[in-house]
Amino acid sequence: MTQAMRIDGGMVDRSRTLSFSWNGRWMTGYHGDTLASALLANGERLVGRSFKYHRPRGIFASGSEEPNALVQLREGAAQEPNTRATTIELFEGLNAASQNHRGPLAFDLMAANDLLSPFLSAGFYYKTFMWPKAFWERLYEPLIRASAGLGRLPMQPDPDVYDHGFLHCDLLVIGAGPTGLSAALAAARSGLRVILADEDFVPGGRLNAETHEVDEQSGADWAAAVTAELAASDNARLMTRTTVYGAFDHGIYGALERRTDHLADAGGKPRQVLWRIYTRRALLSAGATERSMAFGNNDRPGVMLAGAVRTYVNRFGVAPGRKVAVFTNNDDGLRTAEDLGEKGIEVAAVIDARKGDFVMDTIGRSGIRAVRLGDGRRVEADCLAVSGGWSPNVHLTCHHRGRPVWDADVVGFVPGGELPSGMSVAGAANGTMTLAAAIREGHGAAVGIAGDLGAERSPGTPAKAADESFAAAPFWQVAGLRKRAWVDLQNDVTTKDVRQSHQEGFRSVEHLKRYTTLGMATDQGRTANVLGLALMADAAGKSIEETGTTIFRPPYTPVAIGAFAGRARGKHFRPHRLTPSHKWAEENGADFVEAGMWLRAQWFKRPGEKGWRDSVDREASRVRKSVGICDVTTLGKIDIQGRDAAEFLNRVYANAFLKLPVGKVRYGLMLREDGICYDDGTTARLSESHFVMTTTTANAVLVFRNLEFARQCLWPDLDVHLISTTDGWAQFAVAGPKSRALLSKVVDDLDLSNDAFPFMACAECSVFGGTPARLFRISFSGELAYEIAVPARYGDSMMRALMKAGEEFDAVPYGTEALGVLRIEKGHVAGNEITGQTTARMLGLRGMVSRSKDAIGLKLSERDAMNEDDGMRLAGFRPVDRSVILTAGAHFLNPGDSADMAHDQGWMTSVAYSPELGMSVGLGFLKRGTDRIGETIRAYSPVRDQDVIVEVCSPHHVDPDGVRQRG
Amino acid sequence: MIINHPLLGPRDAAEFVVLGDACLIDRPDGMNAASEEMHDYAYVRDNPAGEHRELWYHEQGDRSWLVVTRSTLTHDVIKVELARDVARARGRSR
Amino acid sequence: MDEISLEAAPVLGGASLELSGNRIVERDDLAIVSIATPLGGEDALTEALRNEWPLDVPEPTRSSLSGEVRAVRTAPDQMMLIFPHATPDAEAVVQERLGGTGYTTDQTDGWIVLEVAGPDTLSALERICPLDLPSFEIGGTGRTVMEHMGAMAVRTGEDAFLLLSASSSAASFLHAVETSYRYVT
Repeated sequence: MTQAMRIDGGMVDRSRTLSFSWNGRWMTGYHGDTLASALLANGERLVGRSFKYHRPRGIFASGSEEPNALVQLREGAAQEPNTRATTIELFEGLNAASQNHRGPLAFDLMAANDLLSPFLSAGFYYKTFMWPKAFWERLYEPLIRASAGLGRLPMQPDPDVYDHGFLHCDLLVIGAGPTGLSAALAAARSGLRVILADEDFVPGGRLNAETHEVDEQSGADWAAAVTAELAASDNARLMTRTTVYGAFDHGIYGALERRTDHLADAGGKPRQVLWRIYTRRALLSAGATERSMAFGNNDRPGVMLAGAVRTYVNRFGVAPGRKVAVFTNNDDGLRTAEDLGEKGIEVAAVIDARKGDFVMDTIGRSGIRAVRLGDGRRVEADCLAVSGGWSPNVHLTCHHRGRPVWDADVVGFVPGGELPSGMSVAGAANGTMTLAAAIREGHGAAVGIAGDLGAERSPGTPAKAADESFAAAPFWQVAGLRKRAWVDLQNDVTTKDVRQSHQEGFRSVEHLKRYTTLGMATDQGRTANVLGLALMADAAGKSIEETGTTIFRPPYTPVAIGAFAGRARGKHFRPHRLTPSHKWAEENGADFVEAGMWLRAQWFKRPGEKGWRDSVDREASRVRKSVGICDVTTLGKIDIQGRDAAEFLNRVYANAFLKLPVGKVRYGLMLREDGICYDDGTTARLSESHFVMTTTTANAVLVFRNLEFARQCLWPDLDVHLISTTDGWAQFAVAGPKSRALLSKVVDDLDLSNDAFPFMACAECSVFGGTPARLFRISFSGELAYEIAVPARYGDSMMRALMKAGEEFDAVPYGTEALGVLRIEKGHVAGNEITGQTTARMLGLRGMVSRSKDAIGLKLSERDAMNEDDGMRLAGFRPVDRSVILTAGAHFLNPGDSADMAHDQGWMTSVAYSPELGMSVGLGFLKRGTDRIGETIRAYSPVRDQDVIVEVCSPHHVDPDGVRQRG
Repeated sequence: MIINHPLLGPRDAAEFVVLGDACLIDRPDGMNAASEEMHDYAYVRDNPAGEHRELWYHEQGDRSWLVVTRSTLTHDVIKVELARDVARARGRSR
Repeated sequence: MDEISLEAAPVLGGASLELSGNRIVERDDLAIVSIATPLGGEDALTEALRNEWPLDVPEPTRSSLSGEVRAVRTAPDQMMLIFPHATPDAEAVVQERLGGTGYTTDQTDGWIVLEVAGPDTLSALERICPLDLPSFEIGGTGRTVMEHMGAMAVRTGEDAFLLLSASSSAASFLHAVETSYRYVT
């Protein structure tokens, strides 16, 4: 069969024949076809099954409002369900299949649901799957899961790529029909930066589907001419295949551009781009959507919106049927008969509801063969064009809760309430339903906006056209209806469901929507809602004004999750920060861990090591016995300068900083204003007015933010200035008894003896014959230790040089795990202890907290509850059975107490295997912990199923007197 | 959401971090304040339906703290000021 | 240890890419020094900049240029000088000329500078940059976030920009910029 239903005319390119596969059968169409028009050209009427009743369905509409013709597109991992055949551009090799049926499309096994329809009416979920309870897991849930959902996911990762983008304009025109083209043209001529977006691949909207004339040429030709002028304009951007799907705060719009969906091969380019469009103004010219009427079996294939019939005939050169009946309540529908006649297609009957005629029922199984009229006549027809009037596309006006209002002249809801700021509406979307008026309104809106925004060039004059007749009378459902009549085709909601909703008390429009699922399908009821609301009003004996309408939310049409994700997938989910020694670490067996965005070496595996513990134990031991090197660049570094820098530091740290001498480093503790500790670090004084602060890796950004707050908002007249230097300096901890010996080979001309450069000294110096460096004598391990920093460009070279210089000491690189072991052995607190719930007193740092100054958090840290004598205190813990490995998160209990919160004595925060002590050691908070050294208690972890006896000890498992770090 | 930065013009809220009520500028002097006063500063906030003065930080921009007057009912941004100027106007200095 | 000396290495190894007539080049020859204005010292700093280079203090969103030295406003009381300079003493060099009228910090190693240029530059950058780059005048600047990374853009020509971002995430940043060009060319 070769396009038996193809007729003359239209905008398809007959010189470019395209082959495509439908349910495994190869067919042909033309460039410029949609899948829907190509299927119709090939005489395919049955294209899918309905959601609930598995009724045969055909193509109903010609655009994104299509409720029936949802298909699976493409193959394999690229397969996508629920794509609307009416919006898919045909391309060579396109592969599509119908969905929502078991077995062949024509003999769907699930069609039995249709016979069960008396039991599947509104609310059947709520009524049916209630009891017995035991049926839920075994019967109901599998049943529902098997039948639920539309289409099938490929269950493989999406092979396509997606992207995001940002655009800016003075005016965004949404919809490139006659109104939008007229507006965009006037705005572009005025000099505004204009973006014109349309979901179709050809601008023009209904102009391409109708036989109207504009400026003494065909509407389609005029649209093409305007498009060409806009394309040539420097200040206009025409975006076809682009759906503006949502209106967001302050003139921001979301738009989805389908970049390569119409191509057989995307060539590695993004399939779709999700745009964020910043606008000063927006004009909604999204047109209107036709709706149906309720008559018996109005869902059969062959029943089609009259406007869609004209689209297929006029734009695509396809006859939707050989004998077409027209059922209408308005003059717009009458033009369908005229257009069909022009193309030589037989018009079987024109049934005008305004004259008291109507269609009672349709006849046929997988497609209509005839219609039965209200007077009992049978009219043979294989297509029924229906027009129940047009509903303005007000969706985006609702996105900030604007509520459309009923307009009796339009017989539809028009924009109402407060529109999103900066938005105006024109044309059919605004209830201006005729051509010349819409063109003038679009032009006028653009001229007004151009004036508001100060554009100075001439907008030109609006195009000339005639106003067609638009006489419409409300007509919703036929009288004496005995057969089922559909309201929402996609969610299978019938007139009976609406009536039942009313009878059962679900009478507000919001209840109607949720009880019947009217308008809750992927099309948000675009062809269905108004009919449903009218029927509810009828059932309630109210007017439609009184009944009102539900509103719409983004997205206007479905947006793939992949488009929202954009590039943020797999290893590009977020950026990575690399330390200066990263490359060296990769070459030397490092295993990396993510610390925020940083990748840090957690250990360096050596040949023969079987597990991570072997590596970590070796690294920690070597530090204690000789020397180790660890890249600590990730610690936040903040350069602080100014006449008042010392005073400023004194106010942001809980301990005193005013008198820190030049050339010295001090440990500092930061509190939140509520008195809880939130970060710690060291700050070095390089000169009277110059300090370098370090923060924890995790809090670098937060501390900087808080310092800026203090500087700008609390003490705006202190002369103090901040700049982050985290990435600027490659910083290495050099720790262990041989660290001095090693650094003596590295640092130029600086006396490193304990007298000249004691614990907590710092200096600006140079290394390896002149490279600038900073040296700090600080220790996180309890050993004699330093941190040395060089400009990051030398970081890789520095790591290699340190290792070379350390060869004679058997220096080891060590990672974050060994760093953790060393600090737990030494009893230094870290993130596990500074959790946002702990006070200085709990951490054993109460002595540091100054009482003689004002600083952030000091006042509230003095509150009684934070200073109770039976409060939690940091302590150390060791298993009585030295072979036991302790568990972090275990709670402490006194021996004999039951394991409940009433007897809770505290919790273990950090544990590590200490190679130095040959056992597992821990840190934790214990009630009155400092007073209980030597006691034994239970460490109980129901999560890890562990219950062990531990001995309470000093948190300083190693070198409690601090002799080594001062040595 | 757009914040019209007084120095830089309209910027996407994605560049900013919000802190909350601008009353955080009015920090009592810890040496002289009563505990109750400091407690109220740290914990007590109004929750107006309507105009709300908020602190926003232009973290991915010029690192200015701003006082943004915003309607909690409509999300409209009514006024944007440099927090430093507001702080000085409220008598904060050194 | 006379036998060892340290070698400076560009973060991206001196990356230089050609993508369909567009260029992405790592400018590892540029030094960056931030200058903070001392409270009450605006006039002295302005004068020092004028006398020494001569450079104007750039307005917010703008940069000023003197020969190859560019000043970019980064904060109400801070700017950055960007200029060709090879050795790691850029801060000292600037400070000496300022004579204490500004607080200086060497930022050379904290940033990666990519010079991007070519006909598809605006199309590529609109995929990652929320700023209205097409409306930037030559010399216009802005700091924002691109692909979760803080970044600064300076328009240096009709279709040429300097892009600055943190050196630690330079590889991710280059990937983001390169991907943008690949997607639009």
